[in-house]
Amino acid sequence: MSMPDFQLLRPTTAADAVAMRAANAASRYIAGGTDLLPNIRRGLAEPGVVIDLGGIAELAHIESGGDALRIGAGTTLAAIAGDATIRARYTALAEAAEAVAGPTHRAAATLGGNLCLDTRCVYYNQSEFWRESNDYCMKLKGEGCRVAKKSKRCYAAFSGDVAPALIVLAAELEILGPKGSRRVAIADFYRDDGMAWLTLAPDELLVGVHVPLHEGWASAYEKVRVRGAIDFPLAGVAVALKRKGNAIEDLRIACTGVASRPLAVDGLAELKGKPLDAAALAVITGQTEIAAGAMRTTVVDMLYRRGVAPVLARRLTERLWNSAA
Amino acid sequence: MNAPETQVKEIANASAPHGVGARRPLVDGVEKVTGTARYTADLPADNALVGLLLRSPYAHAELLEVDISEALALPGVRAVITGDECDMPYGVIPIAQNEFPLARDKVRYIGDPIAAVAAVDEATARLAISRIRLKVRELPAYFKAADARQADAVLLHEKKQGNIEREVHNEFGDVAAGFAAADLVREETYECAEVHHAMMEPNAALAAWDTERGHLTLWSVTQVPYYVHLTLARCMKMEAAHIRVIKPFSGGGFGHRTECLNFEVICGMLARAARGTVRLAQTREESFLAHRGRPESQMRIKLGLKRDGSITACQAEVVQRGGAYGGYGLVTILYAGALINGLYDIPAVKYDGYRVYTNTPACGAMRGHGTVNIRFAFESLLDSMATELGLDQIAARRRNLLKAPTETINGLRVTSYGLGECIDWVEDVSGWAARKGKLGGSGNIRKGLGMACSHFVSGSAKPVHWSGEPHAVIVLKLDFDAAVTILTGASDIGQGSSTVVTQIVAEVLGIDYHRIRVVANDSAVTPKDNGSYSSRVTYMVGNAALDAAENLKRLLVTAAARRLKVEESEVVWYGEAAAVASDPDRHIPFADIAEEALVGTGTLNVKGTFTCPPEFQGGKQRGGAVGSSMGFSYVAQAAEVSVDMDLGIVTVDKIWAAIDCGRAINPMAVEGQVQGAVWMGLGQTLCEETIYENGRHMVPNMLDYRVPTIVESPDIEVHIVESMDPNGPFGAKEASEGPLSGIMSAVAAAVEDATGLRVRALPISPPRVFAAMQEARNAAANEEQAL
Repeated sequence: MSMPDFQLLRPTTAADAVAMRAANAASRYIAGGTDLLPNIRRGLAEPGVVIDLGGIAELAHIESGGDALRIGAGTTLAAIAGDATIRARYTALAEAAEAVAGPTHRAAATLGGNLCLDTRCVYYNQSEFWRESNDYCMKLKGEGCRVAKKSKRCYAAFSGDVAPALIVLAAELEILGPKGSRRVAIADFYRDDGMAWLTLAPDELLVGVHVPLHEGWASAYEKVRVRGAIDFPLAGVAVALKRKGNAIEDLRIACTGVASRPLAVDGLAELKGKPLDAAALAVITGQTEIAAGAMRTTVVDMLYRRGVAPVLARRLTERLWNSAA
Repeated sequence: MNAPETQVKEIANASAPHGVGARRPLVDGVEKVTGTARYTADLPADNALVGLLLRSPYAHAELLEVDISEALALPGVRAVITGDECDMPYGVIPIAQNEFPLARDKVRYIGDPIAAVAAVDEATARLAISRIRLKVRELPAYFKAADARQADAVLLHEKKQGNIEREVHNEFGDVAAGFAAADLVREETYECAEVHHAMMEPNAALAAWDTERGHLTLWSVTQVPYYVHLTLARCMKMEAAHIRVIKPFSGGGFGHRTECLNFEVICGMLARAARGTVRLAQTREESFLAHRGRPESQMRIKLGLKRDGSITACQAEVVQRGGAYGGYGLVTILYAGALINGLYDIPAVKYDGYRVYTNTPACGAMRGHGTVNIRFAFESLLDSMATELGLDQIAARRRNLLKAPTETINGLRVTSYGLGECIDWVEDVSGWAARKGKLGGSGNIRKGLGMACSHFVSGSAKPVHWSGEPHAVIVLKLDFDAAVTILTGASDIGQGSSTVVTQIVAEVLGIDYHRIRVVANDSAVTPKDNGSYSSRVTYMVGNAALDAAENLKRLLVTAAARRLKVEESEVVWYGEAAAVASDPDRHIPFADIAEEALVGTGTLNVKGTFTCPPEFQGGKQRGGAVGSSMGFSYVAQAAEVSVDMDLGIVTVDKIWAAIDCGRAINPMAVEGQVQGAVWMGLGQTLCEETIYENGRHMVPNMLDYRVPTIVESPDIEVHIVESMDPNGPFGAKEASEGPLSGIMSAVAAAVEDATGLRVRALPISPPRVFAAMQEARNAAANEEQAL
């Protein structure tokens, strides 16, 4: 389908953008457009007004001085993946940014776009003809869930790569609204609901990310996909590890692609002070298995997606453990 | 005019191949890589109306009513047509025509076109489509061959009992005696998922209706403009003389466009109904619904082997889920049986094939037509049995080589055969002897090596429409400008057919490439050609080009002799010039020769033709023409893989492919075709599959239908073996389909070498390998427990 008509607004400050959004109920922000434009073509979004964030200089920056890393939401994934400081000290973030889609996508796609990525489902990311002939679904125009027949909720999966990396790096997000800005821990930015997966209010704008300096931590991100490029994660896992001698000082693991939100793996606190032995690895795989409850939102068998997330968690933890030795 | 001295000497002394054998970029490459090439959807057309289709949301239903009155009443709507517009069924095979451009009475798959709209813009067309009202009675629908074959299944098409489109049963040689004589007999089942062509350019057509004359011009993406032309005439009940079909640049075909497709006829009908010009650009999803890809296939195959690896007999049963309409289907099921032969020396073959109608998009021809899945099964079983006999898998294949010239038990003539040399090269460069079974790996990554062989026809020796014409015709036009224009109906779909005919003409005439241009695929200008399918163009059209060039050269030598005032035998031909043998300083340039050749006659239009002799047209059995060809390509390929034992991910690290394509007219183009075929085969091997849920295509887009990216493409090393076919142009054969069908089993063998697991179903995707690994681990654990 061709692109439908819409009005394009081009603010030059974040405050103007927020004001424009507040003034236009049926508006959407656009940055790289790699998520929104295909969705508009498929009739998944029908904004009368599109607010282009590309002209807002304050949104595109990486500052790594002092005790934190600050990245503007308009920074491209290519810039993040290529930043020497991020690669060295926030490795999971660089690896996650580099794992998104293909090079041309990453050149356009932004950090904010990846964090706010629409949830995905094989019954949703289809043409209007397709969805109409399947009686739509609750996420748009229809009723009920095609993934789980009796479900009252939508299971569409959050499939952004960057969010789990920022979760294990304990990032905070800076959000601007009509009444000023607020900060929120990244885990609280999301909800496990395929239709309302962000806690961002309609009149708010994600402007940037703060990541505390991570002395002594090592981190990594890896995703499983059928192809080595383009594909969204069937399961993606980020791990951050702080090792002290032969003990785990701290360990964080987060997953993406396996629920309607990116989520931290629970139950790892008991590993603190212990070595990464077989028992610890069993806890890691067991806890990740509990977290990675993928549903039938892709044509790839959900049992595969549930099965590989623990493998990634184990592998990445072992790799970080060994490299920190 | 005098040719510069140096030029004549340069031509005479040139050592690198000028025409045949020259490594040259494709003649239409510049336009493609600079973006100036115009494809059907790009063609300028002032005031073209926008065409749009209403497709069936039902998998199987009787159409009781299609009410278009509201749609027609909308301002800006110029035409709305339904199945009433055409009551002539069409289909590429004259005896199996059961498809209508727009459904009549019944719809048979989700996506079957029901009505079409032409409107002033897309929004209006879309609104009109939404205003069409359907009344239907839904029918039971079948999405698997086995379900459609049940005794009580409702028939998709009348008179096709059990929803069987075509059954094939034949036996050549004495199969029972063959199995009795074998030292080892094994039977195994294999399965291949359905795959799609995923050509780069989505479907599109542009149709202009000339209201005054009642004439139609249609531009389309087709591989077969001639069949499109015939189908337009048939379905629109027009004289063929009133139709003109043009194929602009084309972004690939791979078999998707080897038959006229519904959108082409619909576009023509819309233009007539709207009395104007209509563009019908199809979405990617609509290409997936037009489909014509390789069918889901279930195969049961049984082989008999002597202890030394000699094959004594083969028995195979193939069931193909054909989809909703005939298309090329009966050819596909015949190919699968016929080309069990022709690769190895097999004394007895029994084949039972079933092509089944189902409520899914119709399958059809796809690169390696009909031969790919059965080759996967055959090579896989041969591997397993060789291992069981303690034989090296290459040695087992060597034991079964043919000796050309020969004729197979089903009447295929093999006149050139370089498979032995292909195998030798693959064995050598892959380090087979030292590395097979010994690659090991590290950590959770295991490595393995595997190989397989394959072949394909160089054109079907008997055309689909038997009209008594030659198989191919080329016209060369020489005019006052001393340019040689090649007029051809052969469709260049990226495979390089225009380049091949250009190089052949350049070789024979010896003239500069700048003097030659190709005009292709305009039925008002170019000679009829059957089209680009069954790898026929290099062999057949190449031979016609050779004939035409020789015919033109004779006229030019005569003209040169006349201008130089010597006997023809005294003329030394340099292409860009001609000289007197006894007095080399007396020479004239090509322009003078051309000028002389036109004296008293004017523009020269010189024709060349090619016809396959009847003895090459296959055995006398029903359907025996399918698989018959004047020359077969032969390929051996080896694959090296790494398998991630925890994630089930197979990575292909390297492919070695040796092809006997006879004389390589353009070695660079051959390498490109082989690499493309290998890469396409890897898609089917590793990750591609169409998936239907209740008949609904779940992956009708390039994100979810996973064609490998460049990241998955391994280094593909190509080696050319030139067996010099006695009948091919300069000894050439096909180079583009044979290299595909061995890849699946080569990779499956490599995965077995790495992991010990033999995967018998395609694709060898991560979930499948992961599940197989888990199953193996569980089995091992249970065994341990039992002990």
